[in-house]
Formats: sequence, structure tokens, C-alpha cells
Amino acid sequence: MEKIEPDEMVSRLTAFIRGEGHFDSVTIENFRKMPGGASREIWSFDCAMDRGGETSRRAMVLRRDPGAHNISTNRRHEFMVIRAAFEERVPVPEVFWVSEDPAVLGSAFFIMERIEGETLARRLLRDDTYARAREVMPTQLAEILAKIHRIDPVKHKLDFLAEPGDNAALTEVKRYEENFRRLALEPHPAFELAFRWLLKRVPKTPRKTLVHGDYRIGNVIFGPEGVRTILDWELAHLGDPMEDVGWMCVRAWRFGNDQKPVGGLGTRGDFFRAYEKASGTNVDPESARFWEVFGNLRWGIITISQARTHIDGFVKSVELASIGRRTAETELELLNLIE
Amino acid sequence: MQDRPTSVELLEAAADFVESELVPAIQGARQFQARVVANVMRVVAREIKLEDPLVRNEVKALAHLLGHDSPHLHSLDDLRAADVKMGEELTARIRAGEADDGDWRQNVLAVVRRSVEDKLRIANPRYLENDIAIRNSREED
Repeated sequence: MEKIEPDEMVSRLTAFIRGEGHFDSVTIENFRKMPGGASREIWSFDCAMDRGGETSRRAMVLRRDPGAHNISTNRRHEFMVIRAAFEERVPVPEVFWVSEDPAVLGSAFFIMERIEGETLARRLLRDDTYARAREVMPTQLAEILAKIHRIDPVKHKLDFLAEPGDNAALTEVKRYEENFRRLALEPHPAFELAFRWLLKRVPKTPRKTLVHGDYRIGNVIFGPEGVRTILDWELAHLGDPMEDVGWMCVRAWRFGNDQKPVGGLGTRGDFFRAYEKASGTNVDPESARFWEVFGNLRWGIITISQARTHIDGFVKSVELASIGRRTAETELELLNLIE
Repeated sequence: MQDRPTSVELLEAAADFVESELVPAIQGARQFQARVVANVMRVVAREIKLEDPLVRNEVKALAHLLGHDSPHLHSLDDLRAADVKMGEELTARIRAGEADDGDWRQNVLAVVRRSVEDKLRIANPRYLENDIAIRNSREED
């Protein structure tokens, strides 16, 4: 990928926004790279836009592909899913513009509203500031999830979302098994045992809905009052809504707060009941357990994939490299769940 | 033969500097990366200390599980190669359904758990200690 210095990015971005929004002039200030974002670059900036003598100002975020990647997703599709969620009053940032033209910023990107707040799960789980947020968030997250699962993909023309076929659970297991066989560089008997366990317990999936695909507290912006917005929609797909419920219970998102399995914040029972109340559907505990095991396995395969992104030289990063040594954490949790 | 400090002493000195001097002096994305760097150096230091005995034990356990004679290997490279080869044999047998139930499943689970714990002894010993503490407290319930 073309290497573009931040100053050059600002001038190209200014021209892009002026063209897209038909503005007379655009001024970008405070352009800076945000921490985190192992799979996508995040840049923050303030944008002043003039048209016909009137100036509007918005706090914005640019989400850009870093280049080639093992799990490639599509920025335009992510943009359209977030727009659908926004229209259905799910708390998400307002999205403005998207471009897949590499001539603009070197790789695909989109621009959305910047929502202020905290994203570090460790602060949520430990700081006094967030005591109230810790209380209300399990219920809020269940209610928002029920709302996401009600988004009609046909109404919002999300026809690019992959169709999971007759059995969404089996389709997902097979998809991640294929990823695993392609990416793993050494034998992983714990994962093989988990695949056997899952294949024997594939649930019949009565509902097929939009699935967020990465619903966990790390993808939430929150404040002392609770949830502000849901981020990272790049893995959205059609499938079994229980997939999001199980993913929320994955061990890695508890940050050591293991007595509260749902994101280190609440119990499975309370979360399931709040979701049932908000969605008007039942949570089958067996099915939720299947998706929790699958979620841990999936996170394990993602750790392998992230390490491969570094090893194969797509993106050289000590953070991605170090994630390769976190695979064993998931293996241990899988053994705990399936023994 | 190299002079002191040993590789482990050098790595730990470097990790101490990154943690106590560098991390507090920088912010944002770079500070996070610096923490990762310090952690990576600690992982490598533990690996230098522990890999040899752990891989020897693992090769012995896998050979026993798979019904092979324990190989007489000395170099670490030979041990690693034997470990991977037997790991592949084990995964093939799991995929064929041989560990789905029965006594052998229990033996497989015990050996696999030991291997995973050995990886964590190097990669994240605190995670392993927490996990053991949680399992013990559940058993007391």
C-alpha cells in the first residue's frame, strides 16, 4: 500500500469531503491517529464545512484499511450496515461518506461521526466513575442487541450479506474450520476437540436475523451513564441471533472478572432474561452454550489470523505478533467448557 | 560461550527500562505498543528459561498417549520436530473421532490440558494461576 504522510492525508481528505459534500471550503483540524484498532486504522479529526456562507462543524472519525489482511471485509458494506442501524435508532455513529478508490487515501475508508466517551473495558470494569454504567449496561446491551436483531435486511437493501443457508450454525463452524486449517501453523489439539464437540451439538436455528458479528464490550463507547454507541460492524452477517449472545459471553472480554461471564459485567441468566423481554423470543441455554463455545474457538482462530497478518508481512506490528501467544488462553477456556 | 549478563538478564533489563522509563513518558497508541513490547520481552525471557524442560516432558507425554516408545532425543530442534510430528498424529486421531468418548478421551484431555498450561507458563502465567484459582473455588462450591 502507498505510504501517505498525515499532512498529505489531510489535504487529500479535505478535497474528498469538499467534493462529496459539495462544500465551498473544508478545514480539517486536530487530525491524529487513535490507539488500538488492530485490524483497521482509526483517525480522529474536527471538520469545518462551508457552504453558501454557512459553516457547520462536526467531530469525525476516519476508519481505513491498513492494507492487505487475512480477514478482508468491505468498508462500503460496513458503512451501509451502520446506516441501517442508525435509521432503526440503534445507538451508532452517523455515517457520512465512503470510498473504495485507492487513489484517495491509499485504501478503502469511510467517515463517520466521532462519539466521545471511553472504550477501554478495563476502565469500565474497575473505575469508580463507571459504577452506574456497570449496573445498567448488561440490560442496555441486551435491549440494543434485540433491536439489532430486528433490523430488516431487505428493507435496508443489505442484500450483499452472505446467505447462511439452512443451518447458520453449521455454516459458521465450517467457515471457521476452513479458516483454521488455512491459517494454523502448528497442531492445535484443543481446537480439534472443540470442533468435534460443536459438530455433535449443532443447534437448529429457528430464527435468521442480522447478526452484528462482533458484539462485545470492547466495541462499545460508554460514559458514566452507560452505553453511548456500538462500533465495529465489519463482521455483520445473516445468521442465528444467538451467535451474538454467545460471543458476548466469551472469556477474553471479561478481563479477569470471571464471576460475571457477560463482558465481566453480569450473569448469563440476567442477560438472557433482559434479551428475552426486549426481543419477545426465548433464549435456549443449550444453544447459547453452543455459541459461547464457538465464540471462544472463533476468538482463538482470530488470534492465529492476527499473528499470521504479522508473520506473512501484510502488517508488521508487535501487537499483532504478540496476539499469536494468546491462542493458548482460548485453548484453556475451551477445555474448561467441553470437558 | 558468551559473557554475563545472560540473555535472560539482558531481556529483563530491557523490559524494565521500557516499563518504568518509556511507558510513563509517552501516550496513546505508542504507549500501548510500548507495554506490548515489554510484555513480549518477558515472554521471551520465560521461554529461554523454561522451553527445554517443558518440551521434553511434552514429547514424553505425547509418546505415551500415542503408544510410541519415548524417543531418545537431545537437541532442542529434534525435540521440537518430534513434538510437532506427534501433535499432528494426535490431531488426526481426534478428527477421526477416536477421542469423542471413552477412556482414551480422558487421557487425551489430560495431555492436551498439560500442553496448553505449559504454553501459558511462558505466554501468560498469571492467566493460568487465575484459571486454576477459579476452578478450585468452583470445586469448593
